[in-house]
Amino acid sequence: MNNWRFKEIVVMAALAVVFGVVYLAFLPLGSLLVGFMGPIGYDFIFGIWFIVSIIAAYILQKPGAAFLSETIAAMIEVLLGNAVGPMLIVTGMVQGIGAEAVFAATRWKNYSTWVLIAAGMGSSVTSFIYGYFMSGYAALATEYVIAMFVVRLISGALIAGLLGKALSEGLARTGALSSFALGKQQRKDAA
Amino acid sequence: MFLQRLNPSYKAVTIIVFIIFLATIFEPVTPLLFLIWTLAVTFLFGGVSLKKYLLYFTPFIIFALGMLWTSIAFADTPNNPSDTISLFGTSLPKESVLTALALSLRVLNVAALSLMFVFTTNIVHFILSMMQQLKLPPRIAYGVLAGYRFLPMLKDELMIIHDAHRIRGVNQAKTMREKWQNYKRYLIPLLASAIRKAERTAMAMESKGFTGDKSRSFYRQFSIQKQDFIFSIIMLIGFTISYLISYQLG
Repeated sequence: MNNWRFKEIVVMAALAVVFGVVYLAFLPLGSLLVGFMGPIGYDFIFGIWFIVSIIAAYILQKPGAAFLSETIAAMIEVLLGNAVGPMLIVTGMVQGIGAEAVFAATRWKNYSTWVLIAAGMGSSVTSFIYGYFMSGYAALATEYVIAMFVVRLISGALIAGLLGKALSEGLARTGALSSFALGKQQRKDAA
Repeated sequence: MFLQRLNPSYKAVTIIVFIIFLATIFEPVTPLLFLIWTLAVTFLFGGVSLKKYLLYFTPFIIFALGMLWTSIAFADTPNNPSDTISLFGTSLPKESVLTALALSLRVLNVAALSLMFVFTTNIVHFILSMMQQLKLPPRIAYGVLAGYRFLPMLKDELMIIHDAHRIRGVNQAKTMREKWQNYKRYLIPLLASAIRKAERTAMAMESKGFTGDKSRSFYRQFSIQKQDFIFSIIMLIGFTISYLISYQLG
């Protein structure tokens, strides 16, 4: 905890508030898709729920950023009045671990496009394992479960990985990140 | 009411434990009976308004129905396919139907447990008690609470961005597609101002002496009392009875 500046924690919380609203907005959409298509409905848009991990990790470029930001985002979602309640914090931690594991594999040094995509997919993997047990996917046909997994991987790669990267870079261009790792890096590249 | 007086962290952990218990069950009777027990506890000891409860519970019912039909349609191959029951004029393997029922009832039961927490807990107290009972670092807890306070500010900010765009003539969105484009244009400025606000807030808190030290004092003290144990025992009795009845029925 001691290598974190308080500023960075509050910034993660601020990102979490903005995306907490976005996350909540996607929940009924997900429920509707599930109503029509079954559990796979969620998987198409699942990547949106990992996006804070990718953005925070890319902006702050520190060990623990992906995990901590997703956990904080879950806490904020509970504060905003999510009906899922305390269990959501556990879910957030599980999702954060997946992305964190990918960044850890590069020793928190590499934040290239491929690593960000892999981190989005990492969250897909851990959240899927978690969902497999908690939502009882074991009772579904194997082909259907595999289809769900593939869709979730793609969603994690595209929505969390690529969209997260694009948003972070858009933010860096505004100059708001000048005191964070990504802003500093961009200034160095420009100079 | 009884549920409102409980320690928020203890209540949360208890509920999470029972949700994990439920994940190990693949027959419909236990979740059905425990769902009834959960609802009874919520209304008897929580005094929750029925109308509000239904408003939150209905999306889960839609979700559960979706789970129900797809779990039947995409079920794993049953062990004895000859054992069927007929439903809406078609015969379905009994095993698939029972598992599908079990999964959808699990969704409803998890929802009921979550709503029991959400409707009876002051969530700010929950964060504060996580710091006192679950060893959540104060830096994270107060960071989260500060972030939470940004929400109304961000709403104002969104209006300002909206007006600023409009005054420059870029905001005549009429179709759904144009509205979606607009939201994309809002997101970056909104995030940028949120980050600037966060930086200023953090600096203000630190300049007023917030260090995030763990041995701090609290204005609101939370503790775990006898009533918290009583709550977990009530829930455990409900779960055990549900499980035993289901076991008796086979």
